Amino acid sequence: MIKRGKMARLDWQILLLALLLSGVGLLNVYSGTRVIGTAGTPLFVKQLAWICLGILAFFACYLTSDGFIEEIAWPVFWGSLVILVVVLAIGKVRGGAQRWISLGGFNLQPSEFAKVAVVLVLAKYFSDRYHYGGIGFSETVPAVGLVLIPFLLVALQPDLGTAGVFMIVLVGMIVVACVKGKVLLLMGGAGALAVPGLWMMMKDYQKQRILTFLDPERDPLGAGYHVIQSKIAVGSGGFLGKGYLRGTQGSLRFLPEQHTDFAFAVLAEEWGFIGTILLLALFVCLVYRGFHLASRSQTRFASFACGGLTVYFLAHIAINLAMVCGLFPVVGIPLPFVSYGGSSMLTNMMALGIMANLARSRFTFQGGGERSISA
Amino acid sequence: MTQRIRKREQDPMIGARIRGVLWVAFALFGLLLIRLYWLQVVQYERFQALSENNRLRIRTIRAPRGQILDINSRAIAETQASFDLVCTPVDVKDLEGEIRLLEEIVDFDREEILEKLRDARKSNPFSAVTVARDLSFEQVSVVEFNREELAGFTVQVEAKRSYPFGPAFAHVLGYVGEASPEELENSEDDLLAMGDIVGKYGMERRKDDVLRGINGGRRVEVDAAGRDKRLVEEVPPRTGGIVYTTLDADLQKAAEEAMNDRAGAVIAMVPKTGDILAFFSAPAFDPNVFSRGIRKNEWKALAEDIRKPMQNKGLQGTYAPGSTVKPFVALAALMEGVQDPKAVVRCPGYLQIGNRRFRCWREKGHGTVDMYKAIVQSCDVYFYTMGLRLGPDRIAKLEKDAGLGTITGIDLPGERKGLVPDTEWKQKVSKERWYDSERAILGIGQGAVHITPLEMLAGYSTIATGGEVMRPRLVKKIVSMDGKVTENPPQLMRKASWKPEEVAFIRKSLAGVVNDYGTGGAARLPGIEVGGKTGTAQVAAVKGKMIKSENLPYLLRDHAWFVAFAPVADPEICVVAMLEHGGHGGSAAAPVVKAVMQEYFRKKQVEQAREGK
Repeated sequence: MIKRGKMARLDWQILLLALLLSGVGLLNVYSGTRVIGTAGTPLFVKQLAWICLGILAFFACYLTSDGFIEEIAWPVFWGSLVILVVVLAIGKVRGGAQRWISLGGFNLQPSEFAKVAVVLVLAKYFSDRYHYGGIGFSETVPAVGLVLIPFLLVALQPDLGTAGVFMIVLVGMIVVACVKGKVLLLMGGAGALAVPGLWMMMKDYQKQRILTFLDPERDPLGAGYHVIQSKIAVGSGGFLGKGYLRGTQGSLRFLPEQHTDFAFAVLAEEWGFIGTILLLALFVCLVYRGFHLASRSQTRFASFACGGLTVYFLAHIAINLAMVCGLFPVVGIPLPFVSYGGSSMLTNMMALGIMANLARSRFTFQGGGERSISA
Repeated sequence: MTQRIRKREQDPMIGARIRGVLWVAFALFGLLLIRLYWLQVVQYERFQALSENNRLRIRTIRAPRGQILDINSRAIAETQASFDLVCTPVDVKDLEGEIRLLEEIVDFDREEILEKLRDARKSNPFSAVTVARDLSFEQVSVVEFNREELAGFTVQVEAKRSYPFGPAFAHVLGYVGEASPEELENSEDDLLAMGDIVGKYGMERRKDDVLRGINGGRRVEVDAAGRDKRLVEEVPPRTGGIVYTTLDADLQKAAEEAMNDRAGAVIAMVPKTGDILAFFSAPAFDPNVFSRGIRKNEWKALAEDIRKPMQNKGLQGTYAPGSTVKPFVALAALMEGVQDPKAVVRCPGYLQIGNRRFRCWREKGHGTVDMYKAIVQSCDVYFYTMGLRLGPDRIAKLEKDAGLGTITGIDLPGERKGLVPDTEWKQKVSKERWYDSERAILGIGQGAVHITPLEMLAGYSTIATGGEVMRPRLVKKIVSMDGKVTENPPQLMRKASWKPEEVAFIRKSLAGVVNDYGTGGAARLPGIEVGGKTGTAQVAAVKGKMIKSENLPYLLRDHAWFVAFAPVADPEICVVAMLEHGGHGGSAAAPVVKAVMQEYFRKKQVEQAREGK
């Protein structure tokens, strides 16, 4: 048994995908923010800094010793809850929601980190209770309760998108963690019943967004504006795109949030269908690789955590792209690695670092270890 | 090794679940791919067009309207630069709020503008709508200062129609305004766009096709706030054609001043050519007010004025001609041989017909009068007698030959025809025969007869030319947009077969009216023989005692006429002045004619002196 170095056992593929996507994102942030005259450091330089910090975060997570992440799952979760409460109390209000916390010049969005914490704690919870025949109802309910705490804290900010991601991650984890089929059905029914309650909880602008999503033309200059302009940007890109830096929807500022939530629209306009296929392919690879690591992991905690984090990525990618394409209401969900944003970049890099750490083979011999989910 | 074993144990179910989620992921990506294909490939053209619509705005450059020049090539209607506030409806963020802000800066009718912009938003949100014209420098700076709050509103330099002589040419040149929806719809050439300026009245309307240019355009790239970012393409506008008129601004001004705010009309014409030198109707309005957009209250004031400033009295007002018809009656009597010019009629101050007494304007009478004296002194009894002897038909025939009660054919919209009654007309309105009283008063231009000042002018010009009826001419020449010159030569309408010596006698009598202690002495000019005739047309029959016209309510006062030409030997100019409810022709109207003639001959003298050098 030769114990190889940690670096030698790194899953280079997932890091490479992250770097490629970040590179694309950086180019896109440059194009999207070129026309916004912000004082100080240009946003793409900041984004580059965030990528570098993100790589550090990746390795910081990756290099922790085996089993450490599983051990700190609970403390991290409680810690993140405390921070979410702090945000609600003293956070910065921006765009009608209290999401930000100022940390020496940087505005951090703790709800981003909380998503990872939730995945880890669920993985820990389910792996501890795992048994043959699947996890039953009585063991699932406390898990739902665990997620409801950060869900409500985030929903109060209010950040409906992020809160929704918590729910999607929960559902993903419940599926991956082998909860019994009939429990799944039961919970699905309960979820459906919760929808009217959710509607009552929503703020007016959120209801507006959903109504507008159902019929964007009802307010083309108001709430429907984002969706309409975004679709125009994507559609007018055509097959080959308008060319890098030559998108008119972005550079003439018809697109809202063109470097953050709607960054993909800028990309789609400038790079066309070809560009969107390539980006989609990168995301498919990322998700595939994530699930591959989940199925290959050697502990249940690792499998669940990898699976959950991949669901987390999938949720972000799918919701953001669907929103930009007009298939989903406008919610504040960034596109991983592509949208501008430090908290999101750091969280995503950390999540990948954690996945790489958990999937790291702990033994030198790999006999039969290289399994693939597609096998 | 226990870990490995545990892993193998857990693998089947976890692996299956993960595979399931992976398939969900694939399905989601597949869905997104289909959606992207739909948006970017299938619907590309639609979104491409929408994106261009977003990005490109066509800014119309309105074509300057062509000039209208007077006889000395002075501009009497021209185009000047004006700072206009325009609105591109699609770029407006908060219509009501922005209008509220604008209200503090610019003076406009809030409801009207709101309605206009709401309509434009629906019909054509990308094309600019003019909100206010001719902003002052201060207003422009305040609007520019508030750019951010006024999304969709910009200040543009636009062409503004301007009339340097103000109200003087109001009726003959008319005014302009934004094309109405009906005009847009009926536009034959499709070149008319919303917000374009078209001629609404007078020559502006009649010659609109010549004067209107062709709009240019600027295709610009704008950002989301509607700010122009880049000029993509520009097509310059083409200025409209030029109309050379026969009008003389100096005479026009003289006419305006002489009228001195009294209601009526003054027209001056060259008898031989029909050239209209001056055409003034009073009260007038300022056509410049229409150029900048007339407000509702201003329009209401004009429309409700009892003196009818919006009516061109010269060609739309019809009035009893009174004594001004006497020369025509006399000429008819001569031609029909019913009265020898030397034969006399006794005037005791009235004529008894049946049981009614028809008074002469001179209560004590004129004594014995021949034709010359009858015209010079305007003896009513003499012309009652002629009226009875000639009958309406013979008078009507001659008057119509001269141009009274006919369309003169002037090149202006809205000309009205007066009425010169004959038996045919009488039959039409009532089955009764002519009564003697009716026949008699037709001899002095009262009764059913009513004519326009322009017809009166045409009639006297015919006397001046000896029977040639010229079509009144306002436009000498047109130079169209593409430089094509169209001359508009004088046009002879018809020639009355009058005996020259008989016409000469009438002319001599008219000279007597002015120069031989007649009723028109007020029109006398030193060194130039003026021939003309006064007329005081009764508006209301006042029974019993003679009441001075000045003592009657305004609308019942007499109309004052004076028509004259000069020099009598070879008339160069013929002028009519009609003062609505103006009192006596000799005292009220004759000085107006004199003022215009004086200006004409002064100018002529100056010109001759210049040529002499």
